[in-house]
Amino acid sequence: MLLNNILETGIRKRSVKLMGNRFEISVVGDDPILSDLHIDAAITEIKRIETMLTTYSPDSQTNRINENAGIAPIKVDREVFDLVARSLQISNLTQGAFDITYGSIDKSLWNFDQNMTVLPDAKTARQQVRLINYHNVILDKNACTVFLHEKGMRIGFGGIGKGYAAERAKMVLQQRGVTSGIVNASGDMAVWGYQPGGGNWTIGIANPDAAQYPFSHLDITDMAIATSGNYEKFVMIDGKKYSHTIDPKTGLPVTGIKSVTIMAPNAEIADALTTPVMIMGIRAGMDLVRQLKYIACIIIDDNNRVFTSKNIRLA
Amino acid sequence: MRKLSLAAIGMYLSILAAFSQSTKPADTAYKNRTLTFEEANFASSYYSQNGNNSAVTGGIGSEKLADLSNSIELKLHKWDRKSRKHTFDFELGVDHYTSASSDMIDLKANSSASHADTRVYPSASWTVENETKGRSFGLGGSMSFEFDYQSFGGHLDFSQKTKDKSGEFSAKLFTYLDNLKLIYPIELRTTTTTARHEEYATTGRNTFGSSFSYSQIINERLQVAFLLDLISQSGYLGLPFHRVYFTDNSLKVENLPGNRFKLPLGFRANYFLGDNLILRSYYRYYMDDWGLRSHTFNLETVIKLSPFFSATPFYRYYTQSAVNYFAAYQAHKTTDQYYTSNYDLSEFASQMFGMGIRLTPPSGIFGIEHFSMLELRYGHYTKNNGMNSDIVSLNLRFK
Repeated sequence: MLLNNILETGIRKRSVKLMGNRFEISVVGDDPILSDLHIDAAITEIKRIETMLTTYSPDSQTNRINENAGIAPIKVDREVFDLVARSLQISNLTQGAFDITYGSIDKSLWNFDQNMTVLPDAKTARQQVRLINYHNVILDKNACTVFLHEKGMRIGFGGIGKGYAAERAKMVLQQRGVTSGIVNASGDMAVWGYQPGGGNWTIGIANPDAAQYPFSHLDITDMAIATSGNYEKFVMIDGKKYSHTIDPKTGLPVTGIKSVTIMAPNAEIADALTTPVMIMGIRAGMDLVRQLKYIACIIIDDNNRVFTSKNIRLA
Repeated sequence: MRKLSLAAIGMYLSILAAFSQSTKPADTAYKNRTLTFEEANFASSYYSQNGNNSAVTGGIGSEKLADLSNSIELKLHKWDRKSRKHTFDFELGVDHYTSASSDMIDLKANSSASHADTRVYPSASWTVENETKGRSFGLGGSMSFEFDYQSFGGHLDFSQKTKDKSGEFSAKLFTYLDNLKLIYPIELRTTTTTARHEEYATTGRNTFGSSFSYSQIINERLQVAFLLDLISQSGYLGLPFHRVYFTDNSLKVENLPGNRFKLPLGFRANYFLGDNLILRSYYRYYMDDWGLRSHTFNLETVIKLSPFFSATPFYRYYTQSAVNYFAAYQAHKTTDQYYTSNYDLSEFASQMFGMGIRLTPPSGIFGIEHFSMLELRYGHYTKNNGMNSDIVSLNLRFK
């Protein structure tokens, strides 16, 4: 403890619960007091984003868009507009596996829970996801408005907001002159610069069978990494493992993959791509990643097989 | 796409099974689709397309995208669960101790096929504790190997509680014996050190240290702790990629003495003045034989004015002197024996004071039921190079 805190350049770390997640901010610096100030500023930025994107407070921009679904376009901050626009771009890329209208799911038909013993029939399941369709998010760039075309549609930033917040926090730290650090949003990380002493950062990837331990690690810098897995919430039906993630095309829970790790230039992309790759499955998901520049991927399937994109070497 | 298999135990990895295809991946409604050029490159234009490039990336550093082709190396851990539980301390996240090889020194070296930067972290430790005597003893050793760095470490721990269990003394002896390759910035390499890894010069760095602490519960209100470390390092103590520019504009890699003795001394005291007032104080003094001296002083008070309202004024002060070998950019003479321009080793002082308040009235803030918590924190920071800043943060919770 003392050694790390007192000698030369060190890491200052703080964990806070924000946006329903545990954020851990690590900053490398020579002055612990100054590092603490930088961390304060990063936390302030994350809180700002939380306030902007939350669906828990009735007058947030997100909620106003949702309340006016099928009624009227809502003028939003340029920042929110841009985030929605980027979300739609990722929807296009992933054939709709990523969709910010995922919250439109109709839970009155059936609800995924731990005690489930049978899957719903295909028709009921499809009925449940009928309102999920990113094509019905209508943007007007000049008026800076967002309009949900169908009544009952809802958007949410659950699949991208955490990564966006991590990226913004990193930006705030970089603007304050922090040359090395990590913003870790519950496993979605923006990593830049070097460890004290000069090496790349070592990032462990959780073993889906024992999530508190890594099954592997990699040394990276100036990159983001995010993992999403079904090891937190899943259900066994007829000996098959189903994740709590619902495929927006079929309305059925996703199966076959234990965890997806994405590496990307920024945390927003990394965060946003993990879930759709899991939904798309190994074949279509890997085919997508294979074609994307600057993106790498590690998938562990239900049989504990590890699949990696070609830009990753195994050692 | 590459694949291999993790055996049922979840940790052991069998490369042999890598290409077995007993079960096909489950199919989905999603099809393989050929992306357009723009789509394939979406990451590089992700923000600029929407016109907020500078706002999001800050325009600093991270905008140059690393080409990932073959530059990410995934290192699989090969120990079993049982031994890890006892012997390995590797949490998900960042390994703060061992430094890995550095990408930005020479990208060529990293992408070459011969580069095999495998790292192994075997380490073992053993602890025996005698609860009735309040005594524990432990020892351990560790090894770390990678392309540019090898380290052997060992430690001995001892702790003893006083008879009435109100005090505890602990001592630790430790050593790290490191061997590193010197990878200089590419423009400072001589021809013999550029071509292949095997030709990098290597050097050693040995660290021997001891760490002592004594904590004592003086009474139900006061707890104190004394902390002392003695650390001696020898060998190569600079970093091969820290550049120094001299008065004549020539350039060299920093050069620092081959020995360093460090002595941090700390004192911590917490005082509970009734249930509603806690004083936390901390002081440490640090010195080393390179001429760096530093003082850190920290005082924080938690005042609970009511069960729903607390205030925490705080003050922190830090000062350090420069090492004897520091000079700014182009300020070193070429005749200097030792030289560095690393600002971590320069002289500075900083202080910060401020206060936080926290309100959690049961009927809600301003009587608004859903508005359950308000926290306001203000800090004023000054550094003696003229830097000043004020930080205000506001934390609101709605239920």
